[in-house]
Amino acid sequence: MEIFLQLVYSGIALGMIYAVIAFGYQLTFATSDTLNFGQGEALMLGALVGLSLVDTGGMNYWLAIPLVGVFGLFQGALVERVGVRPAIKLKSEFGWIMSTIALGIIFKNVAENIWGRDDLRFPSPLDESPIKLFGANVLPMELLVIGGALLMMVLIEFFNRKTIFGKAVVATFNDREAARLMGINTSIVITFSYALSSMTAAFAGILVAPLTLTGATMGSVLGLKAFAVAIIGGLTSGLGIVVGGILLGVAETTTGFYISTGYKDVPGLVLLLLVLAVRPAGLFGKSAIKKV
Amino acid sequence: MLKIHQLEAGYGKVHVLHSISLHVPKGQVVTLIGSNGAGKTTTMRSICGMIKPSSGEITLNGRAIHGMESNQIAKLGIAHSPEGRRVFATMSVMDNLLLGAFPRLTGARPKGDVNADLEKAMELFPRLKERRQQLAGTLSGGEQQMLAMARAVMLNPDVILLDEPSMGLAPILVEEVFKIIARLKQEGMTMLLVEQFAAAALNVADYGYVLENGRISVHGPAQQLKNDPAVVASYLGGASSH
Amino acid sequence: MRQHSSTWAALVWVLAVSIPLAIHNPYYIHLIETIMIYSILLFGLDIVVGYTGQVSLGHAGLFGIGAYTAGVMFMKLSASVWLVLPCSIAVTAVFGAILALPALRVSGPYLAMVTLAFGTIIQILINEMTFLTEGPLGIKISKPILFGEKLSEREFYWVVCVMLGLALIFVHRVLRSHLGRAFEALKGSPVASDCMGVSVYRYKVYAFVVSAGLAGLAGSLYAYSEQYISPNTYNFELTVLFLLAIIMGGRKTRSGAIIGASIIVMLPKLLDDIELFRWVATTAAVVIAAGAVIGLRKQWTTPKAVVIPVVGTLTLAAFSYQLQNMTDWRLSIFGLMILFVVYYLQDGIVGFISKLGHLGDTDEAQSSVLTSPASQQSTINASNALGGNDPQAMPLGASNPVILSAQSVLMQFGGLKAINDVNLVIKRGEIHGLIGPNGSGKSTMMNVLTGIYQPTAGHIEFNGKTVVGRTSSDIALSGIARTFQNVQLFGDMTVLQNVLVGLHHTFASPLWNVALHASSYVREELEANARAHALLEFVGLGALSEELAHNLPYGKQRLLEIARALALNPELLLLDEPAAGLTAPDIKELISYIRKIRDSGVTVILIEHHMDVVMGICDTVSVLDFGQKIAEGKPSQVQADEKVITAYLGGSTITV
Repeated sequence: MEIFLQLVYSGIALGMIYAVIAFGYQLTFATSDTLNFGQGEALMLGALVGLSLVDTGGMNYWLAIPLVGVFGLFQGALVERVGVRPAIKLKSEFGWIMSTIALGIIFKNVAENIWGRDDLRFPSPLDESPIKLFGANVLPMELLVIGGALLMMVLIEFFNRKTIFGKAVVATFNDREAARLMGINTSIVITFSYALSSMTAAFAGILVAPLTLTGATMGSVLGLKAFAVAIIGGLTSGLGIVVGGILLGVAETTTGFYISTGYKDVPGLVLLLLVLAVRPAGLFGKSAIKKV
Repeated sequence: MLKIHQLEAGYGKVHVLHSISLHVPKGQVVTLIGSNGAGKTTTMRSICGMIKPSSGEITLNGRAIHGMESNQIAKLGIAHSPEGRRVFATMSVMDNLLLGAFPRLTGARPKGDVNADLEKAMELFPRLKERRQQLAGTLSGGEQQMLAMARAVMLNPDVILLDEPSMGLAPILVEEVFKIIARLKQEGMTMLLVEQFAAAALNVADYGYVLENGRISVHGPAQQLKNDPAVVASYLGGASSH
Repeated sequence: MRQHSSTWAALVWVLAVSIPLAIHNPYYIHLIETIMIYSILLFGLDIVVGYTGQVSLGHAGLFGIGAYTAGVMFMKLSASVWLVLPCSIAVTAVFGAILALPALRVSGPYLAMVTLAFGTIIQILINEMTFLTEGPLGIKISKPILFGEKLSEREFYWVVCVMLGLALIFVHRVLRSHLGRAFEALKGSPVASDCMGVSVYRYKVYAFVVSAGLAGLAGSLYAYSEQYISPNTYNFELTVLFLLAIIMGGRKTRSGAIIGASIIVMLPKLLDDIELFRWVATTAAVVIAAGAVIGLRKQWTTPKAVVIPVVGTLTLAAFSYQLQNMTDWRLSIFGLMILFVVYYLQDGIVGFISKLGHLGDTDEAQSSVLTSPASQQSTINASNALGGNDPQAMPLGASNPVILSAQSVLMQFGGLKAINDVNLVIKRGEIHGLIGPNGSGKSTMMNVLTGIYQPTAGHIEFNGKTVVGRTSSDIALSGIARTFQNVQLFGDMTVLQNVLVGLHHTFASPLWNVALHASSYVREELEANARAHALLEFVGLGALSEELAHNLPYGKQRLLEIARALALNPELLLLDEPAAGLTAPDIKELISYIRKIRDSGVTVILIEHHMDVVMGICDTVSVLDFGQKIAEGKPSQVQADEKVITAYLGGSTITV
């Protein structure tokens, strides 16, 4: 039982990471009907840049976090500028799918060349000895991940609700054309949502890095599984992705332990297939019915 | 104030408007009426930048605005209450109104006193006052129409474009909406009103243009048009002279 | 050029076959063999990506299934190649179906993610199921034994050639047939496709399964070719390479697939040789810079458009001199190539060359080789064109004067009642108008009658059979055809092909009949072409049959939609604002066609705003307002009805 609870704690921490990446998907899809197939790579870059700052640069972990966030903002804006905006102009769905995939591959390759192909150890900023919670072990870092992820999502919610710019973003996601009629520059909103989306992923990256192996390949499958979580969560529900993320995270840690580590990615992927088979497209909110 | 000169516009291959010209003088209410498919909404969309005209000019106080982006046109002082309302459904009534004032809050237009204007809007649209925090998507059709118009007023605009405010509304609500339009007219607001319901529109307007198959078939002072059989004919076919 | 793309592919094939006679180096033979194997897979992938327009990120997984089926059969069963190849095709096709059946209900990014998940799962399974696949250790395979002897490298090469040739013929024939047209149609306009009786979902699945079969064949040949297979080959990068090959070579062409395959096989070799790469990169930079200068001088292009390719290639060339080794940067190069192709080379190399050559004929413009030329069609009278004397045109229950009856139909979207308790009775043989102000529910009614929306409540019966609960394609096949308010043609297909899609229901030939060009299929194709030409003559578009649909002027596009709808041999034709956007002479023409259609026995429901049209030809007119029927009767009655005038103009201050 103790082990199970321990797995649950790890699962929740992992799940929050999925939720954060999923949040990023929701953000861009809501405002622009596009998403970044290289979202996982944004996380990976956040982790590795953080590693360089902390390990090589000797910077304090807590200071590194906002810097990584800023890096994420620029990376996201770059993806939008190079990969998404031209495709939106061309009205080509195929275009942004392929170009965000391409950018993801490029980022991964660049990361491999800068940081090498091996997985690296990220020094933990917190005490590595576990705390007892309800009789089972949980790492302080895991608690930080959960707390950090929730905090970030709350902050963004706050931004959306309280500031006029945040409201402009929500307006864009409600009705892009009407938002333009209000004087809102929706192109900037879209760039911003990509920047924000990569920022959250980078932030998740530096949070999760001490808990897992950090390397150029850490992002790929994460991005895919987070997509399943995004679909479960739906367009507007932050709670939905948190719940979905936790469910997935726990399913994975328990599969990895009780069945085999090789199979631990399978529940997430199967979940993705099931969700799309049972509730295709509808969960993201935009109606598939075209008016003819 | 707002002039359209020999405008040609359409969607891709479909050529909808053929050399439309009209003029909205300051302080007046001008209405553009006509049956469906005549091109009324296309005209509105050309003015507010949603579609780019293929030829012709649209000017605001002499300044050319045809071909500009919608958000730029809004910043110049043209507010739009769009066809179908298009309120921001997941946001509250208050937030919708605040967004109407977006250019004022972000420095693109003179700020003025936004809070005072909010109160004024509430007064003009009492139904909205009762529902300030309600989500716009849960409002009834009539209430959403009020919200769309109030949102437009919040811009403190030079011109308001009202696109089919009566669409989908029960007759009693249509009356209410037009009462508000009359009130806005009293306040001196310049408005271009596009309407399918010729009767109500011609009652409140100063001047009217009738669109038929993408062309202006008849125009004149609203009082005159009210009694013109050509108006009915443009809607229901020339067979009113059996 | 595309018109002859299959001819080019055939020439290349002949060249490939003769290569081992001249070159004896097994390295090169193996290289070309790999190109051929990839080409087979790419023919299949092109069907999914190029024709149906979907992104599949799972084809490396399917390739792996094919390879591992071969490997496992070889290792565990010592099966002969005669058994292995068909089994690989079948097993992979089955996996393709397992993936396609749930996955293809979605499209776009969702489908891409689903196929990616599938590919990843396959890789994990291959890695983990060591009892079957030996996991990361891989499986060793030796060349197949044919007629008692183990094949040499060269002999196996020719086996691959034969397989490539067969695949080429198969794919060519399938894509030129009604199946290929169905694939293209569902990309062009899914909604129109469904309403013409081509079920989008079903054909997406067919396309995917066919491509899976081809991937399986390629996979098994690959296993024999490499003689060793392991799980980490069939990964995301391979799948991306396949996509790059298709879009760089050129979609919807066989030669494009072959060019693409060559690029992705040769490219890693090129990158390994840094000297060669430097030379190539510099040449490319020079060529593009020169092209940009010429383009700017002749004003074909703008500085803004060329700055990125020019700067990009120059930087790449410069970069290559800094590095000792490009292999590590392989993936970045691929990524950059994808970006380049997506934005600058949308039609691929084949498309680019054909544009240069100004040979306007595309693959689509080449109609089926089995067409009888249009000039041989004598003037067809209307009833002939509309199948009036076709015995099957006599419908069941033809004696029933009511062809369609809708009772108490309710269509509710959330809180909005778009159609509120509407009764509609359409008499056989009449032209029935449906009018009403904006938002009155007319188009919603159309969509309900054709199965695009399912009504919240109410009964709708067509010829005695219920319509509610059936799919659009099912309804279309039972005799209700329609046109669309916003024209929904298959823009990239020719005028003739658009009508041929409407005739899809006349084809009963299964896949193998098509591939083998069985006489029954050939006959069906000839008959359909003849019917299609007749229909085009009827609407006056006979001379434009080879023109691409999106090039037609608007008025003619609307007529084409009508011809396509008539191809369904319907008893009931729904026209959604057919006169919208038409000039006065076009409208006159339209009216005469509608009359002719009715005279040949087809009942017509007409939604229109042009009152002259409605009042001129309709026998009965029903008026909707706010989702309810407010008036019905002869046109003159309705026109004078107070309620109708009020509904349109509002209030009673306007006097008639």
